[in-house]
Parts: sequence; structure tokens; C-alpha cells
Amino acid sequence: MSLLSRIRGLLGIERLERDLEEELRSHVEMRAQDNIAAGMSPEQARYEAHKQFGNMALMKEDAREMDIVRWLETAEQNFRYAVRMLRRNPGFTAVAILTLALGIGANVATFTVVHAVLLNPLPFPHPEQLVRVYDDLRGSNSGDIGMSVPELWDLRDKSGVFQDISVAWPVDANLTGGERPDRVEFLGTNTNYFTMLGVRAQLGRVYTVEDSQPGFTEGITISDGFWHRVFGGDPNVLGKKIRLDGDLYTILGVLPPGFRHPGRSLGSEVEVFAAAGFNAAPFPVPPLRSVRLLPGTIARLKPGLSVAQAQARLDAFTAELSRDFPVEYPPAAKWGLRLVQVQDDLVGKVRTELLVLFGAVGCVLLIACVNLANLLLARAASRQREIAIRQALGAGRARLIGQLLTESLLLATISGAAALITVIILKGWLLRLAPADIPRLNEVNLSPGVLLFAFAVSIVTGLIFGLTPALQTVRSNQVTNLREGSRGSGSSKHQMKISRSLVASEIALSLVLLIAAGLLLRSFWHLIEVRPGFDPHHVVTAKIWLAVPNDPTKDPYQTPEKRAAFHREVLTRIRGLAGVEQVAVGSQNSLPMSSVHFQLRFTIESMAADSERAPMAEIVGISPDYFPLLKTPLMQGRNFRDEDDSKGQRVAVVNETLARKYWPEGDAVGQHVRFGGVLPQSPNIAWITIVGVVSDIKSDGLDAASAPRIYLPVNQSPSYAMVVYLRANADPGTLGDSVRREVQSIDPSIPVFGVMTMDELVAKYLEQRRFALQLLGVFAGVALLLASIGIYGVMAYTFSQRTNEIGIRMAMGAQRGDILKIAVSEGAVIVVFGVAAGLVGSFVLTRFLQTMLFDVKPTDPITFAAISALLAAVALAACFVPARRATRVDPLVALRHE
Amino acid sequence: MAQAKNDVLSGTLALLVLKTLARGAMHGYGITLHIQRVSNEALRVEEGSLYPALHRMEQDGWIRAEWGLSDNNRRARFYELTSKGRKQLAQEEKNWSQLTEAVASVLQFG
Repeated sequence: MSLLSRIRGLLGIERLERDLEEELRSHVEMRAQDNIAAGMSPEQARYEAHKQFGNMALMKEDAREMDIVRWLETAEQNFRYAVRMLRRNPGFTAVAILTLALGIGANVATFTVVHAVLLNPLPFPHPEQLVRVYDDLRGSNSGDIGMSVPELWDLRDKSGVFQDISVAWPVDANLTGGERPDRVEFLGTNTNYFTMLGVRAQLGRVYTVEDSQPGFTEGITISDGFWHRVFGGDPNVLGKKIRLDGDLYTILGVLPPGFRHPGRSLGSEVEVFAAAGFNAAPFPVPPLRSVRLLPGTIARLKPGLSVAQAQARLDAFTAELSRDFPVEYPPAAKWGLRLVQVQDDLVGKVRTELLVLFGAVGCVLLIACVNLANLLLARAASRQREIAIRQALGAGRARLIGQLLTESLLLATISGAAALITVIILKGWLLRLAPADIPRLNEVNLSPGVLLFAFAVSIVTGLIFGLTPALQTVRSNQVTNLREGSRGSGSSKHQMKISRSLVASEIALSLVLLIAAGLLLRSFWHLIEVRPGFDPHHVVTAKIWLAVPNDPTKDPYQTPEKRAAFHREVLTRIRGLAGVEQVAVGSQNSLPMSSVHFQLRFTIESMAADSERAPMAEIVGISPDYFPLLKTPLMQGRNFRDEDDSKGQRVAVVNETLARKYWPEGDAVGQHVRFGGVLPQSPNIAWITIVGVVSDIKSDGLDAASAPRIYLPVNQSPSYAMVVYLRANADPGTLGDSVRREVQSIDPSIPVFGVMTMDELVAKYLEQRRFALQLLGVFAGVALLLASIGIYGVMAYTFSQRTNEIGIRMAMGAQRGDILKIAVSEGAVIVVFGVAAGLVGSFVLTRFLQTMLFDVKPTDPITFAAISALLAAVALAACFVPARRATRVDPLVALRHE
Repeated sequence: MAQAKNDVLSGTLALLVLKTLARGAMHGYGITLHIQRVSNEALRVEEGSLYPALHRMEQDGWIRAEWGLSDNNRRARFYELTSKGRKQLAQEEKNWSQLTEAVASVLQFG
């Protein structure tokens, strides 16, 4: 009965019942009348008629069950039958459930992350309106160079694109007043930051436009984490004052626990949010258009405006500004603004990785399904006789298919439930496995979407592995089956063909996964082999931040001389520590793999006419020992000396990339550059002499080309944020403590944080790639194992079916080798088909890995060939084992084998 | 379950009902009377089996039903063969004769 007619029956059930009742009544009355005609009294006639008819109600039930009841009953019978079958084969059931639960569990776990990170919209109203605004200089290929305050005002007041726009400036801040100074992650924003995001405080209030000041607003908002860390969740925290970088701030409110700044931070979650107008101390006044202080900007687009539309309007707007300010925006520099949706900006980097892993884990589940389908197929072969008998007795094909499918669906749902429970239990542990820099992991939870996915994937899984065997079982001719069954043999030729295609497809799928893992592995190798331009071993780093109070007169380190003196003092004291061989300091961006940048436009004296090209470079301040400590070789000229201080000649060392770019003839040393009018508060518009060229350091990551860099002696341009480098043979932990002690004996208000060895730094940089590689490697390994089991199973089954034939062959004089040759060549056909299909699949699919690869083409022939050979070897070995066993059989026994 | 008992019968019952209806449309009571009469009272059709069987055959599209008036002007549901039902009848008749032949030859040689 089709589903449609069943539904029709359900809908018409009332009418049906009335019909049935009337029909039965007319039947009884006709019989009663006949009884009267035969001479009975009316009462007796009616009684007899009823008696003969039996219980009218019962019969009504019987007739009605043809509809929904019959269907439900069938389902129930199928279910009971399925339970019985599964319990009768506990071994099979356990293996099947375990395999499936693993496969489904891995899929559910991955989907949970994909759902939270990629699919779930950001937890703000209208998240699609939120964009990051990037400043680029396309002329010199420099991206994300920062925004100037006048640009921010123009965008806010004149661009007509944004409802709201706010700076998001992550900085270090020193929290003092506790037992010891503490470093906090601080975000400088505009006062409209929270209203733009649509976030309210869980306690107190957030700052709003009414709180606006030219400089920093006194009222700040703190994160839930900071509230608990520093104040132990004290409900009376509102109105309390804390001292950050020497300034007093009042706590206005506490943000809700789930809130996270949807953008970059320096090292951890943002703990303190403070608002500023960026138009008074500590910011340079008046703000200049060419000073790109503001590192990150987030904005909310006007309603109804798509990102593309906004971008188009913004392009017109920037073109107009460039015409109005030709000095600040030289045409050759090609200044432009770029909008990226905040959601993409946050997860853009991990999107490919997550999707690739999701695809891979789906592939593994598919392979598991295929294996299970094969297992069911083999089992179905042994059940064929039972099925044939039932068919002969009148069981319909639909009924039988339903029954077999019920069995596989039951298996799948049990496995799905087991998987879901496991994922729920192991959630915390699993999340710890993921690298910390995957954004939004705090949002991972078991939402209805995840539950729905788990249910859907279980059902689909059940259908995938159950349908082929079910169709195959009832498809075959019942008479043949009875006959085959009576001979005790199992599979028909057709069935074997299906098994083999299934195994071939398994091999193809595993090949795709293995090749993907192989490509990642090669990339990783290449990456490790990249010469980073420094020697990370035995180097410990620590960070220091000299507080910058909002009132410059209160700044103890306001003059460069005072900062330089502090740096010198730090170097001297740490040099005296036990086990320390070399010490150096550098600005924040001197630390390789850090995300901190400080780019400036510079002018080259000998190329003044070409200044419109607006060359950009990363400006790094270092002490003389920086290059020797990191073992970065000097190519030309000289290194910095202690004499390169405020009294000496202004000097610079440039990296190879910059030297080659502007002085390809190799005559960089002795040239003059300057940062034309960019830092107005420092009067050093003097020319700086290049005294040396140093080999490139892979500062932006091992896989990124080195940016042009200009190194300045820390004594001539000392910064507030510093990194201390120690080459030492001592324990990093105790070294960190010693450094902290020494620094705080100079100034007790300065925290030392971020203590890390450079080996850890590199490892952390590689972590995400390593994670993707390891996961994909595990998936590929599991796939290989499953495929081997698959081919082993099918070959073993084939040979057990052909024991008789092998016996005949051997009795006729065939040698063991001959039999093996036949066996292996049969396996080889499967392997060749599988590998060929897998290669085609890989050619199509590996291009999605492109962004995850380094120095390897997605269709790298070496990887393709090597992995195919490996897979083929493993697969052939898997069919060699059962083949050899088959030849060991005594021919006499084999001949008698029936 | 009542159904299990019916299942055994339903094969022959369907044949008998179909054959009866091949003569023309008839109501349920008429069918029982006809089978009883033609078989010289040897076969009695239980109403408890007949109506479920009729209903099933209707669902399967072998027969269709319509309300009409009986000989003595009583409202009754009349069943009539469809073309599918006619084919089914032919098939079942064939099966039946094959079966009886087979059984007969076994008896002959037994």
C-alpha cells in the first residue's frame, strides 16, 4: 500500500467507519429476513443472525486494521523482528554499533564546532550589518595599515554608509594597586561601541555617547572574567576605582558572561573596555590625517545596505577624499578602504580547515557505512533461504524491504544515540584538543540544530548502509534462491559484483583522504624546513609594558632618554643573572610570529622624486645584541652599537627584502631615509643613515614572505612596549621569575608577562596546522584501516565460497603460486578500479585544500603517486592473506566441501 | 492475532470471492449465500473473514464497492470486479489448478 493511499485512508477514516457499520447492519438484517422467511420468529431470526455474524465490533476492528492500524502493526512487528535479529547476533551488532557510533560521533562533534564557529550568526542583533574596516595602500601592497582619527570622523559624519563606527584598539595596560602589578588586556573604543554591537551590561551599565570626552572617559566597563578574577564576582563592584597605567578609572558596569570582543586582541580575551575621543592626551593633538594610529575599526552598516553596495559607495568616497588631500593620499599609493563582514573576519582563517575536516569526517562515516553494507550483504546471503521461503509463503517485497531497513535504521539510531551521549560527556575534553586560536569556541554547545543533525545523520546513515543489501536480498529470484540455499552456498554472482564495487568505492574514498593528509604532511615538512632567519633554541622571551598615563606630565617615561635609560638598566641587571648568556630588548613587533604591526611610510633621499610611491616598512626598535642573540646573520655593513644613542648619528639597519626592493644593486649601506613628518611629536625629521643589511627574519609566519623592515637602535627610538630576549641554559619558568624580580626592583609598578620560550612560540604558530594535519591523518588512517578490513572481508568471503573450485584446481595440478596469482589478480582488479576512481576524485577535490598547503601544489604528482602506491600495497596485502589461507586447504577436504 | 488465522484462508477466500464476483456485482451477504449454495453447503464463509478480505481486496484495487439497493429494496454495499481483479482472478485460478494437479499427481503416485 502506498503511503499516499494510507494517508487517504487516514483522512477518510470516519466516513469509512460509517460505511462499514451500515454495511454490516444491512448484512445482519438481510440474514434475519431470510431467517424469518424460513419460518423463525423475528426475535429468534435476529438473534441467530447476530450469533452467526459474531461480534460486530470485533469485526469492525478487523476490517479497519487494513488502514493505519495495519501499517502501525507492521512497523511494530518489523521493529520487534529487528530487535530479535540484532540480539541473535550480538557480535555483529556490537561491531556495527561501535563502528557507527564512532563515525556518527566524530561527525556530530565536528558539526558542533562547525555550527558554532561558521553557521551560527554572531550573538549580536543584525550581525550581518557588522563590518571590519581595513585601510590599505594598494600601491605598495600594504594591507591593514591602520586608520587616522580624521579618517574615522569622515567615515562617521560624511560617508553616509554607517549607522555607527568605532575604533577597537587592543593594548596592554598595567593594573596596579594589588599585591603585584598585573597586565590586563585593554580595548580602547569609541563611546558608541556597545550600542553599535547592541550589548547591555549584566550589572550596572555600559558607556554610551553621553559619556564622550576628547581623551579617555573615566567610566569603564569590565568583562565577566575580569569581574571574577579580580573582584571575585563582588556584586558591589560598581563605582569601584581601579588604577590602569597610573590612571584612575571607575567601573560603570560588568558585561554578560558570553560577551567577547568580535575582533583581534593582543594575547587573551579583552578584560577592560575603555572609551576615548582620540582627540586629547595621550593621543597626539591635533590629530593628523597622515598619522594612522588606530589599528582596527568596526562599523555597523546602515539597514538595507549590502556589503557590496557599501563598498561601492565607500570607493567613491575615498576617491573624493584622495582628490581633496593629495599630499596625504598620493595617487600612486592607492589608498583604499576595504569592508569585511565581522563574522568572516573572525573565522575566515579557519573556515577552510573546518570544512575540510568536516568533509573528511563525513568521508570516514561513508566508508564505515560501505563496510557495514558489505557485512550486511554477506549476512543477507546466509539469510537468503529464510527470505526465499518467506517470499514463497506470500510475504510482499515491500514488506521484506521494510523489515530489513527497519533493522539497519534501528542499528543507526542506537549508534546515533550512543554517539550523541558520548559527545555530550566528552565535550569539555574534546574542546581542549582544539587549538586555542579557533575563534568562537566558547559558543560551542548542543543546540537544537546539532540534535537535528545527529538525528538526520543517523537516519541517512541507516538508509545508506541498509538500502543496497535490502534491495539486493529481495531482488533475486526466489526459486533460484531456494535452490542456491539448498546447496548451502551464499552469494550470487550479482551480489559479489556489488560487494566488489562497494570495496572499490571504499578504496577510492580512502585514497582521497590519504592524499589530502599526504599533501598536508608535505606542507608541514616544507614549513618546518623553512629557515626562519633566527635560532629559537634556548631563547626565552618576556614582555614589559611601560604604563602610558593619560596625562603626559604624570608619565615617568615621557622622554625617550628616560625610556632608553630604563631599557639600559633592564639589560644590565638581567645580564648579571645566572645562566644568562646574552640579553636583548626589542619593540613589541620585534617578536617573530606576533600579530603586532607598526608600519610607517618613509622617504628615500636619493629617490625623492619618486616619493609618490610611498614606500612602507615595518619599524622595529632593537638593542645591539638582538641579531647576535637570535643568530641572524648580518649581510652588509655593521650592526648597532651601544654608542648609537640620542647623541650619536641617527642610524638604521634594513632587512634584505627592503634592501633588494629599493637598492637591487646592493648599495643600500650609506643611503638615507626618513619618516617624513609622520610622528609630529618627535622632531626627528632628520635623515637616518642605513649602516647595515641583515638577513630576513620570518616575522609574519613561516609561510609568509618577509615584509620590508627598518630596524632602529632602541637607544634612539625607545618604545613603551618591550620584549626581553634571553639566551640562557636555565629553566624558562625560574628565568621569568628572575626577570620579573629584576624589572620590579627598578620600577615596582611594571608587570612582566607572556614569558615563553621561542621554541614554544614557533610550536604555537604551527599548532593550528599541526592540529589539522593530525586530525586529517587520523581520519585517513581510520579510512585506510576500514578499507583494508573491507577488502580483506570480501576476499576472504570469496575464497571461502570457492574452496571447492580451488580444490579442483589443485587436484588438477595447480601450484599454490598459481592459485595465489589468481587470487591476487582478482583483488588487484578491485584495487585498480578503486585507486583510479580515488585519483580522479582527488584531482577534483584537493584544490579546496589550496589555502592550507605550503609549497606543494594541490595535484602534487609525488604525493599522488606515493600515496596510491601505499594504498595499493596495503589493499593487496589485505587480499593476499585470505588467498594464502585458501591455498593451505587440503585438496581432498576442499573437494568434499559442500 | 486474528490476522494470522485469516492469512491462511485468505488465499482461497480471495479466489472464491473473485470468482463469485465474476458473475456480476453482489453484496457481502449475497457472496456468502452464493458460495454456500454453489458448494452445496460444503464451504461456509465466515463473515468475520469475509469483510476484512473484501476490504483488503478493495484496497488492493481488485474490486470496487458502491452503495445500491438489494432485491428486497434494502440499502447494501455492492462489490464488483475491476480489470485488475479480473487479472488477479485468472492468476489465482491458474495457481489453484496447478496446485490441485500437483496434489492430485502426488496422490496418484502415493
